[in-house]
Amino acid sequence: MTEHFTRRDLFHKAARGTVLATLGGGAGFLVKKAHGQVVWQVDASRCLNSRLGEVGVPACNLCTTECVVSLSAVRAVNEHSRCGRCNICPAYFNITSAVDERGLPSEKLCPRDAITRRPIGKADPEDPANNFYEYLIDEEKCDGCGKCVIQCKEPLGLGSIVLRIRYNRCVDCNRCAISRACPKGALVQVPVERAVS
Amino acid sequence: MQYRQIAVIGGKGPGPGQFAASLRGIAVDAAGSVYAANDSQITLFEAGGRLRRRWSTSQPVHSVAVAGDGAVYAGQIGQIEIFDGGGKLLRTWRDEALLGRVTAIGFFAGDVLAGDAVGRAIRRFDSGGKFRNNIGRDNPLNGLLIPNGMVDFGVDAHGVVHAANPGKHRVERYTPAGELLGHIGHFHGTNPAGFGGCCNPTNVAVRDRIYVTEKAGPRAKVYSFSGELEAVVAADVFDANCKNMSVAVDRGGRVYVADTVKLAIFVFEPVAI
Repeated sequence: MTEHFTRRDLFHKAARGTVLATLGGGAGFLVKKAHGQVVWQVDASRCLNSRLGEVGVPACNLCTTECVVSLSAVRAVNEHSRCGRCNICPAYFNITSAVDERGLPSEKLCPRDAITRRPIGKADPEDPANNFYEYLIDEEKCDGCGKCVIQCKEPLGLGSIVLRIRYNRCVDCNRCAISRACPKGALVQVPVERAVS
Repeated sequence: MQYRQIAVIGGKGPGPGQFAASLRGIAVDAAGSVYAANDSQITLFEAGGRLRRRWSTSQPVHSVAVAGDGAVYAGQIGQIEIFDGGGKLLRTWRDEALLGRVTAIGFFAGDVLAGDAVGRAIRRFDSGGKFRNNIGRDNPLNGLLIPNGMVDFGVDAHGVVHAANPGKHRVERYTPAGELLGHIGHFHGTNPAGFGGCCNPTNVAVRDRIYVTEKAGPRAKVYSFSGELEAVVAADVFDANCKNMSVAVDRGGRVYVADTVKLAIFVFEPVAI
């Protein structure tokens, strides 16, 4: 009987290892967690950078400064299905910077140049406004400072960019350092099966 | 040119003349009566702002317009309901394909123009509801760029359709047949002569000039037909979270702007300097 369970355990561990290797760090972390266990998550409806109703306030960067992980475990994520794919994206451009000869803001917003864009479909060289654009966030560069998130939220944007904890970076502290600092209580623990990866 | 605020109509609440949850469209008729598309109702105010009557629509209403004969058109999802001035339903045009979500309605020489936010275009119908052509759709992007989710336009005395194309920071001019004639406007993040943010202006009305509203920060402005900014009508009276503020202009040049958060219609009049 003991040998049977040991073999089963070994089999499960091997299978789990295969799944983890296949899925990679973020989703893999969630797989490691047993049903019913909890993980930390950013509640966008509480986060100062993304919750509705407050405009004209500076971006909160506590997810960057308080996280114990180097460069933070939090990243800005663009939910493409909600993105307006605008020519002039306030999360990509510094929209109050001088306008260049193409009629576009001359400066980008992200201090780490983590956001890039590319035209969707055939680009119109005569008129950059004649295109939809896809906005991509490089997670190796992003440190979750929230500047793009607050610029993207309604009514200025469509709220497609939100902050997410990346579980391949998160070290799963018992008492998340960001949660202790967050003035809005936006870092919450949720059952692993409800976590957004 | 300058403007001053002279009245506030409506407001959020359950009372008579107030709006419960939404205020999506406004219109002004030749006599200066104000029509509001709110909740699932049309609410009619006298020129001074006093409530005259209100009636229900079959669905939440997204736009309202008054034809020359006094008929009231209420834009909805998949249909337009047409009422007489007393609120009696005369007929309903249903077309899920061409009237996806009707966020603006206008008239030209007996034809009815409907802004369809789902199709990102203006649909032109004859007086009987027969489809004639699209406006704003014949371009590489197959429609107007409307991240805000609404199509709005005005028609001038010559039949030129002035349509907001907020993704391009322009107000475009079209013939009723759909030919693009040109545009005014450009992006600028700080100069009020330009349109700011990701996507402005959101709303347009036309009479002797072009009247627009913007979001983030919300403001109403007036442009000449050649594109010069003539006035910022108002900015700081609107709730900062406002977007898609319907705008209308009466014969006296008074400007009506619907605050979509306060659920109030702000009225401004030009002031001689």
